[in-house]
Amino acid sequence: MSSSSGLQPDPSMIGRLVKPVFAVLPDPTALFRQRAERFAVLAEGHDLAPYLRFLGALSAVQADLVACLPAPDAVPPEQVERARANAMPPLDRGALGASEDFRATLVRFLEAAASVEMPAPAAAALAELHQAPRTALGEMIGNVMGDAIPFEMLAQHLFLSAATQVHAARLAATLEADKLVPLETGLCPVCGGPPASSVVVGVQGAEGARYAACAFCGTRWNEVRIKCLACGSTKGVGYKSAGTENATVKAECCDSCRSWVKILYADRNPALEAVADDVASLGLDLLMQNTEYRRAGFDPFLIGY
Amino acid sequence: MTAAAREAQFPSWDIVFFGGAFMNVELSRRGFLKATGAGVAATSLGAMGFGAAEAAVAAHVRPLKLANTTETRNTCPYCSVACGIIIYSKGDVRKGERAEVVHIEGDVDHPTNLGTLCPKGAALKDFVQAPTRLTQPRIRKPGSDRFEDVSWDAALDRIARLMKHDRDANFLATNAEGLAVNRWTTTGMLAASATTNETAWTTFKVAKALGIVGFDNQARV
Repeated sequence: MSSSSGLQPDPSMIGRLVKPVFAVLPDPTALFRQRAERFAVLAEGHDLAPYLRFLGALSAVQADLVACLPAPDAVPPEQVERARANAMPPLDRGALGASEDFRATLVRFLEAAASVEMPAPAAAALAELHQAPRTALGEMIGNVMGDAIPFEMLAQHLFLSAATQVHAARLAATLEADKLVPLETGLCPVCGGPPASSVVVGVQGAEGARYAACAFCGTRWNEVRIKCLACGSTKGVGYKSAGTENATVKAECCDSCRSWVKILYADRNPALEAVADDVASLGLDLLMQNTEYRRAGFDPFLIGY
Repeated sequence: MTAAAREAQFPSWDIVFFGGAFMNVELSRRGFLKATGAGVAATSLGAMGFGAAEAAVAAHVRPLKLANTTETRNTCPYCSVACGIIIYSKGDVRKGERAEVVHIEGDVDHPTNLGTLCPKGAALKDFVQAPTRLTQPRIRKPGSDRFEDVSWDAALDRIARLMKHDRDANFLATNAEGLAVNRWTTTGMLAASATTNETAWTTFKVAKALGIVGFDNQARV
């Protein structure tokens, strides 16, 4: 997925069919910086402005942290090979959560996050994390690694998820995209997680292709269009949007498993960002609560809908 | 972990009680959960103290309705390359609505065309919605200067009648050497490309069983 290379005409591109790449690994610096910028833009005049500004600031903290952390140890090549051979995710979430590197990143993230303006319940949750004993922290980290967030501690886990995103994206960036293999429909080929949303891109070489976006490690991977990302069915897939048919954020609904995942049409609005616009389109989640479909996209910043 | 154990371990944390019972239910990864005890939904926004913003969004979208749209895979009907297309419609027939085609583009997932279309294929929406598009059979009778609409029954009856006449008059059961053949050379058949292999196979069987020689099942048109 290279971007357009300037204004010079390139006749060699004419008539050439390019198969969209399977996976796009995150550039952690750009990922969090662009997400922070997108949150800031979305916050202007938005009902959800306080939360979007908060998440924008948190994304900026993530970006700053990426910039000053030393390069992480790459995922060992033999682990990548073993994962490839067995169609398993090369990023071992359990090992990630237990690693000292991650704990160090977490400490620095929690310190930096304290500078972000936030409501009292969020600040209290952050303060609790600072004081949490190692074993309690370990249990919560386990929840984040398993995408199983206990609802009575959503705030604490939101901060932990944000810290995890920093470490996971940096680890994912050490992999080679062309060595990744598809696992199953709707599973991230790097960390095995579900997508937060999926994005129809308009970039050269992948016009109209759909990429599912992992909120955990920031990887985007190609998925066939008009296919349920929860169960893989291509039958009975329809789209619902809030108010207008021309929306660029829609709910891809599956009549086979009765679930839905957001789809963002970045071919029509290139500014759309998989996580920021997922949060900003909360209205669609609220409307979808009144339907027979349940949300299958997993975004640690938007749990409970 | 029990509520008491959790309280003992993390004394400073707010433990949330619903209806007096501590609920240690995990949000399953694909799951959906509402804390039912107190009728309150546990959400990221509520937990972080952004409940007011959440309520503002709820008030904003309350009068809105969900609009249905569909995206449907199909095959371009023009030629034998059989490019994959995606048809975008407003409305969903499955939901009892009338669907209106609003856009057609190449299917990027289709191995043949990877999302590309030729100029004819790119104009397919106008083909679908053309006011001059044929929607029923028409006949121009011998000597007439105009087409007339006829019913499908009338059209098929007339085609069958004319085929029978022509085949009875011109069918060749033997060739010049007296060998048995199955040749009907005075009627031809042209079938379209936007079919499955099975449809093409059936079309071929019909034409060849009748002995039709002049037959093309690819639309090089």
